[in-house]
Amino acid sequence: MRHLEPYCLIVGAVRLELVRDTPSGEPLERECDVAVTPVRVRVVDGALSCIARQGVAKTTLDDVAHAARCSRATVYRVFPGGKDAVLGAVVDTEVSRFFSALAVRMGAATDLEDVLVAGMTEAATRVTEHRAVKNLLAHEPELVLSQLAFARMDEVLAVTCAFTTPFLGRWLDQAESKRVAEWAARIVVSYLVCPADGVDLTDAAQVRRLVRLFVLPGIRALQVPQGADGSSGPAKPAPRAPRSLQSKRSLPTTKGEAS
Amino acid sequence: MDGARQRILEATYACVARWGLSKTTVEDAAREAGLSRATVYRYFPGGRDELIDAVVSWQFLLFFVSLYEEVHGATSLEEVLDRGLVFARRALVEHEVLQKMLETEPEVLMPKLTVESNRTVGLIAGFLVPYLHEHGMAEGVEIHEAADFLARMILSYISSPGHWDLGDPEQVATLVRTELLAGVLGELGPAVP
Repeated sequence: MRHLEPYCLIVGAVRLELVRDTPSGEPLERECDVAVTPVRVRVVDGALSCIARQGVAKTTLDDVAHAARCSRATVYRVFPGGKDAVLGAVVDTEVSRFFSALAVRMGAATDLEDVLVAGMTEAATRVTEHRAVKNLLAHEPELVLSQLAFARMDEVLAVTCAFTTPFLGRWLDQAESKRVAEWAARIVVSYLVCPADGVDLTDAAQVRRLVRLFVLPGIRALQVPQGADGSSGPAKPAPRAPRSLQSKRSLPTTKGEAS
Repeated sequence: MDGARQRILEATYACVARWGLSKTTVEDAAREAGLSRATVYRYFPGGRDELIDAVVSWQFLLFFVSLYEEVHGATSLEEVLDRGLVFARRALVEHEVLQKMLETEPEVLMPKLTVESNRTVGLIAGFLVPYLHEHGMAEGVEIHEAADFLARMILSYISSPGHWDLGDPEQVATLVRTELLAGVLGELGPAVP
């Protein structure tokens, strides 16, 4: 008999429940022992199955109760807030699963390139293959997309950054780690929301190419001390010196600096 | 653009600014434009949904036209990005109707904006390609791949700057030199103070 036994992990200000994993967020369609599995867990698992099958709008508390093999009244007893509260618990659980998976992959990496490739590939794969997310993107995209731009996206970046920054600490100082964590999250979200022809971030080889081409050089550029003698250029000639980067520093026509 | 079509779009936009996306009807737009409902339907046979989509597309286009006007005189790719990011972020923050919609009707607006920005990635990338040609690319980087990467990153920073303050030209310059251009153009010299 398999049970979900949640336990807690405190990362900075973020409290995460590490939840026993299921492959790619598949809801557990298992024979759970009604007598042993806590009713709260059954309700959350049941709600996830319902969402993966029929989306959020069409999922009723009766559906959830049915999937959890309990009564509607029991669902309300455990979640007095009703459907919204159940959905909140589902989101928390899935977010925790997502970060648990990231932690496993990123924690096993042996160099900076690997930790980025592992984290980005895992994140893209988890989201892409998550049955409930797939269903929502197909039928209720507004629920997902409204979280992934503007101020909500800033929050997503902040949470992701808070969680993943420590995994970069073996190779980068804290300020760099934070920047790179946010940047990597931004890249993944961009390719998920707006797929590019021929770029598939669930393929580690393709992620590695992106990381090598764009991310690692950006990290090295960041590490060049600011305020160095800008006029003399690099000591050894760069293979292809960009011509106009040394000029046009000022922003002459920008009207009124934003404060 | 056809005069009547333009008039309808402007009228619809005025209604949206006043009442929001969900509450604006074809009737409202027709009244505001001083046209009949039948005329509006002639231009927008899909009715309300088509009208609202057209208004979002139109405003999106206006935004990028103004961005284009801001940066097209720039002489280097770095300057394009520096000026573009500062300008676009400020324009977005100061866009009262957009901000109001994001506050009150994100679930209606966001899918439409996502569709629009996915189309826009190609436009921005196309604009950047000549600049990339002029600079020459880092070894192993394919020009369209770089343009696509830059375009999607630009959209991302404009929409959600994260910890970056795009109102601060110094921060923008650092962002452009590191997360945007370092890989695309190859290793840059020391950062200009």
